[in-house]
Amino acid sequence: MIKDRGFFLSFLIMLLSLFIISTSLYAEEKEIKIGVLYPLSGAAATIGRDLQRAAELTAEIINNKTPGVDIPMAQWGGIPNLGGAKIKLIFVDHRGEPDRGADLAKRLILDDKVVGLMGAYHSSVTKTVSAVAERYGIPMINDSSTSPELTKRGLKWFWRTTPHDDYFNKDLFELLKGLTEGKVKGVKAVPKSQIKNLAYACENTEWGSNVAKSLEAYAKEYGFNIVKGILYTANSPDLTSEAKTLTTAKPDAMLFASYLSDSLLMIRTLKSMKASPRFFWGQDAGFEMADFTKTLGTDTNGVLTRTVFIAKIANVKKVAGQVNALYKKKYGDDLTGATARSIVGVQAWAYVLNKAGSIDRKAIQKACNEINIPANELVMPWAGVKFDATGQNILGRGLIGQYQKTKEGKIDLEIIYPFDLATANMIYPFPGWK
Amino acid sequence: METIKDALDFRDFSKAERIGLILFTIFLLAFPWIGTGSFVKAVMIQFLLFSLFGMGWNTIGGYGGQVELGKAQYVGIGAYTVSLMMVWWKIPFWVSMPIGVLIAIGYSFIIGYPLFRLKGHYFAIATICTSLVLQDIFINWKLVGAAKGIELPIHEHPDFLYMQFKSDTYYYYFIMVFFYVALFYMNRFRKSKLGYQLRMIKDDEEAAESLGIDARWCKIKAYTIASAFVAVGGGFMAVYNLYIDPYSVMDLDLSIKIALMAMLGGAASLWGPIIGAAFLVPLDRFLGSWLGGYKGLIGVDFMIYAMLIMAVSAYQPRGIWGIIEQFRRKGK
Repeated sequence: MIKDRGFFLSFLIMLLSLFIISTSLYAEEKEIKIGVLYPLSGAAATIGRDLQRAAELTAEIINNKTPGVDIPMAQWGGIPNLGGAKIKLIFVDHRGEPDRGADLAKRLILDDKVVGLMGAYHSSVTKTVSAVAERYGIPMINDSSTSPELTKRGLKWFWRTTPHDDYFNKDLFELLKGLTEGKVKGVKAVPKSQIKNLAYACENTEWGSNVAKSLEAYAKEYGFNIVKGILYTANSPDLTSEAKTLTTAKPDAMLFASYLSDSLLMIRTLKSMKASPRFFWGQDAGFEMADFTKTLGTDTNGVLTRTVFIAKIANVKKVAGQVNALYKKKYGDDLTGATARSIVGVQAWAYVLNKAGSIDRKAIQKACNEINIPANELVMPWAGVKFDATGQNILGRGLIGQYQKTKEGKIDLEIIYPFDLATANMIYPFPGWK
Repeated sequence: METIKDALDFRDFSKAERIGLILFTIFLLAFPWIGTGSFVKAVMIQFLLFSLFGMGWNTIGGYGGQVELGKAQYVGIGAYTVSLMMVWWKIPFWVSMPIGVLIAIGYSFIIGYPLFRLKGHYFAIATICTSLVLQDIFINWKLVGAAKGIELPIHEHPDFLYMQFKSDTYYYYFIMVFFYVALFYMNRFRKSKLGYQLRMIKDDEEAAESLGIDARWCKIKAYTIASAFVAVGGGFMAVYNLYIDPYSVMDLDLSIKIALMAMLGGAASLWGPIIGAAFLVPLDRFLGSWLGGYKGLIGVDFMIYAMLIMAVSAYQPRGIWGIIEQFRRKGK
């Protein structure tokens, strides 16, 4: 009898432990945690929160079957190769501070036990966060930092879906060259002498100063002349002297790398000085945010911005329109280059996890190196997502859009470059502010 | 020998304070093994680092009574020296950090000499200006990475020469050692001739000078000591974060934070900067981390942070240590 009881007891314990193990395994399989670092407060809070929304929406599309979106992942209802496990995004706020980002990355890796990381928008924060990821051997997919150097560091656990600034700056010079060759929709060939002299003003952190360097290099390569180049502090309360320096150089084209508040201030100051360049281009960031046109209204007519996503892309790409409609319905704004990149970031994570079929980091690393997301499954006008040996997506490309006043007096962003995707005639020369 | 004895001598403190220090030391030693998460450990490292900064600031800002708001430039000098020497010539941390401290001392001498012709508000403004000028130079100086900053090469772990470890526990103990060296030094400093001279200058500069104290020279010495402390912390920051740029190590925000923590904790007291850092660092990091992830609560942490600072300074201008002493006096 006693023997029986002992057997019964041990059997019960075995059963219980099996139950506990299986439920814990089950729970592990059911939810995959990805740590997402964005600037949710501080100077870049507006954009950080937009990025957060876009990432959340994408996780919803993946986790729940979403009708009306023609991307396979919208019908998954979780990660298929992981037993329908859901993606859980854990957001943290780094405020644009590199050391805070590094500390939070450690929290995500060691305390929250995330499978991988995403973020961090600011290139400087991405640097420290990716260094932590590398130290712990945790995969990080960067969706939105465009400093070219990020993928030139020989890291083994870092991949970037977005094209970087070198691609975008090259696009600008291709557009300028296209103008002189008559390739731009609605504009006859412009003599090069009309557009030869360029001036730039870039904010002076890592991103802006890199853009400046790259602009100088491409100007030389394409035979343009930089008559003035300045670096300025993005959060300075007054940009009068910077604007004055630009206007007195009398350039044909003005080029900018600015965040939101400084781009608004710069344009207002230039307007008050009646600056009249023929060509006015901004390198993404401030120039492509929803608040840019909301604040400046029709003053943005004719302003060009590089981006990776324009709502009009829906005319040539169905899935982009479908996802944009979902986003607009939920949050009231169109997707922008930044938010669309966040969507691709989460999407890349989902595809990588599905390909790996496991949450083992080595398997994820292998999957990242081999992943190939086809063009027709992306909201972006890219040829796909495929990483080279440095971790850079080699199939991405940029767009250049132009803000144009519609007949109803509203402002629309039209695609000007690449020439084959152009949705409207380019306004040339820049109409200025009258 | 006498100096070391003096540094370790806490007899003039009350029994409660001495027991507190022992318990605090035991807590610090045991902390990594308590089983808190890594984020808490990272916050503790920040706490020790800012205590170190605060203790440095306390020499000139607390005992000397000079409103000094430019300490970030010395954090920058320490951090840049370590980083550049490591990137250019592969020089280990333990060689480059002392060199960084020497450069900071030299630089603070050059800056301090003309700066201490100024007094009061003018001095405070001048310290901010020198720090901003240095930051601007570094933002535009291509040789030192300009605005892009410098990334340190990642080494195989653990590497004691270059101070690179996978686990934060190593960093924790290293900064703890720096922290205690600083604490013992400050314990000696407050009882030293210079410490007394500075307090006299703070109370009445003219009276001090009439007694034959060279006020300007004393201030320069204290300023130099403060800069050396801060440069050690800067060097540590570089190897800990593996990336520095002029915004993260030379910003005005950092200077203000250093001064704020010491002032809030209680300037011109040995424990003040430590209490200030123990109060503000976790508040900043935890609140930001907890509230930052939730929609609708973003930015609330800034408000709580600001309100607490206002409340403390309105109640007792001598900071938290002032409040504690006030209660103790009442108790007696």
